[in-house]
Amino acid sequence: MEVTLVLAAGGVAAGLFGALLGLGGGILIVPLLTLGFGLPVREAVGVSLVCVIVTSGAAAGVYLQRHVANLRLGMVLELFTAIGALAGGLGAFLLPEPVLAGLFALLLAYSAASMLRRGVGDSAEAPLADGALIADPGIPASSPSAWGGTLSGPGYRVRGLGAGMAGSVGAGVISALLGVGGGIVKVPLMHLVMGVPLRVATATSNLMIGVTASASAIIYLLRGGIDPLVAGPTALGVFVGASVGSRTAHRVDARVLRALFVLVLLYSAVEMARRALGAG
Amino acid sequence: MGVQRIDRMELERVLGRLLAAGTYLAVVLVGLGVAGLVLADRSPLGPGVAPFDPGRLPADIAAGRAEGFLWLGIIVAIATPAARVGAALFGYARLGERTMAAVSAAVLAVIALGVLLALGTG
Repeated sequence: MEVTLVLAAGGVAAGLFGALLGLGGGILIVPLLTLGFGLPVREAVGVSLVCVIVTSGAAAGVYLQRHVANLRLGMVLELFTAIGALAGGLGAFLLPEPVLAGLFALLLAYSAASMLRRGVGDSAEAPLADGALIADPGIPASSPSAWGGTLSGPGYRVRGLGAGMAGSVGAGVISALLGVGGGIVKVPLMHLVMGVPLRVATATSNLMIGVTASASAIIYLLRGGIDPLVAGPTALGVFVGASVGSRTAHRVDARVLRALFVLVLLYSAVEMARRALGAG
Repeated sequence: MGVQRIDRMELERVLGRLLAAGTYLAVVLVGLGVAGLVLADRSPLGPGVAPFDPGRLPADIAAGRAEGFLWLGIIVAIATPAARVGAALFGYARLGERTMAAVSAAVLAVIALGVLLALGTG
């Protein structure tokens, strides 16, 4: 019973931290399960994918009902994230464990560096405030003749669709290999390259996470890469933690948490690198 | 414009409700499974359970076994985004948006391909 509750508590912490700091909880779940509970990286990734789907589902539902996410753009891009996830999910069963651990160490180090660079008060996947609503994103701001123009929204016009599609494939591969939502790639891609406002990009990325993670989670499921006894308590904990975190994020001074989080990411990166090198 | 035609905003509302409902259903099922684990005092890190077998699911749930509820919750969670895409395909087809309907169908095709490849090479 204790292990079940500790797993759930770990999930709560990962979901809470992720929501408070604007990162998905997925980036913490794999280190938690591998370094804390001794699971193989691949099995931890399978569990993390389930957690990511559950966490993003409720939020994406709200974003859609409030018309914050750009459904049309999200569906076009998730076709490519799903293709990437399909390739990544199959590749994950071909790559040796140390390679997966090494890739995860790189992701953790990159996330820590990004968080340090961004500083305080800004985040790639910050929870959306209630006021962050836009009118029907399916209706183009201008009157483009090309079909691509119909992916635009009020006040912005989507550009760089080809780059967005290519980047989405990469986001899908990363998601499937490492068990994360891929927002760390998708949000900057949509915002900086495609001209989508940050709040819309964040909500649209959240919408895409479900299909992206599902495309690879099915592969993990059918190949025995998901342990339901581990996935259940962890996913439940992450869901609770993320729900609490998203409701309290605006009341919390994130500076101390952010500094602590960077330390956790760096420590996890070092430990995952040691595991990759056979020393962990 | 036909009276029965749903507009884009309504489609988004329907898809949003579907996503939320599927997610909460999955969480409830997983919660029942976790409660079963706690009550049975089973360790998740003990001997693993058998790989996913859809044929055993009804019997496991009927017997109140924790893994039955956990598997079902996980399946509902994984299937919910695909169900959202299926509903979008239906909605876009009704709206006469053939390109978006084709995009939706292509997403479903990629997911289906993943299932086939996983079964075929597993």
